[in-house]
Amino acid sequence: MSQKPPARVELLQGTLDLLILRTLLTGPEHGHAIAKHIQRTSQELLQVETGSLYPALHRLEAQGWIAASWELSGKGKRARYYRLTASGRRQLVSEQSKWDTFSRAMGLVLNPEEAQ
Amino acid sequence: MRQFFRQLNWWIRRRRKEEELMEELQFHLSEEAEERQSESAARRELGNLALLQEATRAAWGWTFWERLVQDVRYAWRTMAANKAFTGLAILSLALGIGANTAIFSFMDSILLRSLPVRDPQALVRLSWHTRGHAVHGIEYHDSYVDDAKIGMTGGGFSYPAFELFGKNDSVFSSVFGYQGAGNLTLTALGQAELSSGEYVSGDYFRGLGVPPAAGRLIGPDDDHVGAPAVVAISFALSQKRFGGPERAAGQSILINDIPFTVAGVTPPEFFGADPELAPDFYLPMHTSLLLQAPNPRHPPASLYFAADYDWVDVMARLHPGVSLARAQATLAPQFRQFEATATTNDRNDLPALVMAPAAGGLDSLRRRYSKPLYLLMALVGLILAIACANIANLQLARVAVRRREMAVRLSMGAGRGRVIRQLLTESLLLAVLGGAAGVAFALWGIRVLTLLLGNGRENFTLRADLNWHVLAVAATLSLLTGILFGMAPALHATRVDLIPALKVSRTGERRSRSMGGVSLSRLLVVAQIAISLLILVAAGLFVRTLSNLQSIQLGFHRESVLTFALNARQAGHREPEIATFYNRLRKRFSQIPGVRSASLSEFALMGQGTMFTPVTVSGARNGGSEPGRRSAKILAVGAGFLSTMEIPILLGREIDERDLHDAPMVAVVSEEFARDHFGDRNPLGEHLRLPTDRCPKCEIEIVGVARDARYGRLKEDPDWVVYLPFGQPAWDPVSRMIYELRTSGNPQAYVHTVREVVHQEDARVPVADVKTQSALIDGMISREITFARLCTAFGILALLIACVGLYGTVAYNVARRVGEIGIRMALGARQGAVVWMVLREVLILTAAGLAISVPVVAVTSKFVASFLFEMKANDPMAMAAAVTILGTAAILAGYLPARRASRIDPMLALRHE
Repeated sequence: MSQKPPARVELLQGTLDLLILRTLLTGPEHGHAIAKHIQRTSQELLQVETGSLYPALHRLEAQGWIAASWELSGKGKRARYYRLTASGRRQLVSEQSKWDTFSRAMGLVLNPEEAQ
Repeated sequence: MRQFFRQLNWWIRRRRKEEELMEELQFHLSEEAEERQSESAARRELGNLALLQEATRAAWGWTFWERLVQDVRYAWRTMAANKAFTGLAILSLALGIGANTAIFSFMDSILLRSLPVRDPQALVRLSWHTRGHAVHGIEYHDSYVDDAKIGMTGGGFSYPAFELFGKNDSVFSSVFGYQGAGNLTLTALGQAELSSGEYVSGDYFRGLGVPPAAGRLIGPDDDHVGAPAVVAISFALSQKRFGGPERAAGQSILINDIPFTVAGVTPPEFFGADPELAPDFYLPMHTSLLLQAPNPRHPPASLYFAADYDWVDVMARLHPGVSLARAQATLAPQFRQFEATATTNDRNDLPALVMAPAAGGLDSLRRRYSKPLYLLMALVGLILAIACANIANLQLARVAVRRREMAVRLSMGAGRGRVIRQLLTESLLLAVLGGAAGVAFALWGIRVLTLLLGNGRENFTLRADLNWHVLAVAATLSLLTGILFGMAPALHATRVDLIPALKVSRTGERRSRSMGGVSLSRLLVVAQIAISLLILVAAGLFVRTLSNLQSIQLGFHRESVLTFALNARQAGHREPEIATFYNRLRKRFSQIPGVRSASLSEFALMGQGTMFTPVTVSGARNGGSEPGRRSAKILAVGAGFLSTMEIPILLGREIDERDLHDAPMVAVVSEEFARDHFGDRNPLGEHLRLPTDRCPKCEIEIVGVARDARYGRLKEDPDWVVYLPFGQPAWDPVSRMIYELRTSGNPQAYVHTVREVVHQEDARVPVADVKTQSALIDGMISREITFARLCTAFGILALLIACVGLYGTVAYNVARRVGEIGIRMALGARQGAVVWMVLREVLILTAAGLAISVPVVAVTSKFVASFLFEMKANDPMAMAAAVTILGTAAILAGYLPARRASRIDPMLALRHE
């Protein structure tokens, strides 16, 4: 028997955008690094599908919340780096506060005894 | 917006974008492979590459555009595959949209656009209104409205009244007047030509707020006695005579042989306060003292003192913040008081002051063309509706044929919205192509309409053109029609019950229980027939009106008469020589080979104007006409006028060579005048007087009675007419005269000879207004002629479109029922029975359309009643003719497919299954 992989959580609809924006708050990154960063910081609980990562990145770019440019990666290869724009920063703040409210509300309903 | 441009930018660089995506994914793969130490694991993790690319592309936001391009491309292919359908659809749309665009461009230029002056909303036009009628004066058609019920409304004021308005500066910031000066001989750079002038008061250009194109325009300092003679000329004249406004300013010219200086040029878009008149030049009002011929009995200066001679048209500019109602309330009592002391009118019927907004310039253009344009707009709107119904119908039929295609698409998972979108794209593409062709058609239509409405007038200033709001209307029309005729078939087509639709054979849904499409298309055909009848009845009414007008008994013979105007007074001829000059010319004209007789008169009998005045008759049964009751029309004529016009003499003699200016004063009266004044007594030898200030005591002997002939007005019964020899003291001294030449053959063939004769006698006299008497009469009924022609064309168009629709529907139904008809024939149905079976449907549809339309026509036709002459709006003849024509056309359109149905070979039809 091989080691059992940690239980994965399915990403909720629409949360990937928020995660990407939050990740880019620390500085420009390319797609692969963004995915790894989310995985690492969620202690491998969240697995980002490549099939949804790139469409999400391009959608955010089309909306003007992130901008892309070609730069050399740490290993000297050309990579497409994404960074947060000013309007992306605003979007992140509003999305994050929405999410906070939502998760608090979920917690209150699901664990009423803890809330007291 | 930024998002849109980003998408557009990406779309333009889409190849590069694709490459970048590939490179980005490649980089991701290599990173992943390095991490996992396995290329295949990395690939597995990435999943379906094509799907990933497709999903990312969707994020680029082009899907909408990409699909649009796909749809348009597909629509284009479908259209190209059905050339007949496409051509027919685009043609009928182009005609519909083009006609609408052309008519709208005229409405735009007449009804919607303002005068090209500063703040036109503040301009008001002053006029007066009385309940009574004028008893003497000059009447040009359309100069004022004289109606038995509402009394008389007119525009002219006396000069003292004009000054009264000018003094009142509490409501107006400017008051200005103007009056047509008629055609004057203008000599510039050695060339003499007739040009139309307008007298304007000193404040005219300042009040209107018109800037000069060159030099300066006329100001208050130019408009008084003794000021240097200056003139402002129109932009067009400056180009024609001087080669540009800059060169014209400062030039010296002669007007009727009197030297003037060109002060400046008006801007190109300015055609005067009444754009219909469009004068060539503007003169300070007081220069009329220089230009008007010295007249011993009527010193021109009296124009400026007489309070009972109305001649100045008045406009004013309101102070900011002053309303029209306040201005009217302030000035009306003052005007009333002025009139009470000044006029000779009946004290109980003083003229009342009327003010109206003048932003669109004088209302004569509007009055003449607004109602016709609304009517034409309604008619072309109906035609567009028929065209739309037609295309909707053709689309429906085609959609029914494509039912299988739709079913395949829907069953393969295409969304209903997506299929509707595809069908709508096809409709819109048709509409856009039709609209583009329609604009081209409109360009042509505007030229034709300008010719028709202008009816040969040279200075016709009604210029319609395609501007952005006309184009916007055309575009909106196209899109609206596209959606209108595309939506119903699209909705209908996608409501498919998939399984039976997939099962049917290629010929169509033979056994389909759903008759929705068929009944919708029948509804459309019925609507088309109903609307066509409306247009056909309108055409019938106008054609009959025209023929009524053309068959009016004029009392004289209108064919083969050449008319032209000469003005010897402007060239310097004076009494008594001027009469001799005119008589000598008459003799020379009558000697031209081919001219049967020649004469002259102050006005042509029809198409120009009339003079009218009260007449007292000595020894008449009832003491003659009293002022205020009925006036007689006066026509000063030369020798042989009545015989030249072929007006028969009933008693006595006509006016001939012996009635010279110094001979005994005589008159020929009309039959009705004689009957009303003398009853059965012999009027010859009786005397009449004209109680005007010309020669109130002059006794005029009646020497003849002529049969009634129409003079001046075409549509009303003949009035009392008194013919006087020109030049005699009882009537005005002559200036401009109209010559009438009765010719054998085409009158226009003599124009050249006439010009030569006049040139030999006096080269300074220009020959003007050369026309035939018939053309003059046609000019009076130009609106009716235009209407009859246009509506006939519209009627034919509507009929054609409706028949195509009917034909298409029936042919489609026949094609759908090939199998059924085959079986019927195999079982022994005769050809005639099959024809009848198909025709019966046509007849039912037509009858349904007529049943709806006939009552509608009866109600709506009263809207055109004011355009008709000597007939009622619900004329049974026009209705019967329209129904017959429509019925015949419908049966013809239905017969072709019916005959084809009867020729179906039963064997072939059955094998078709």
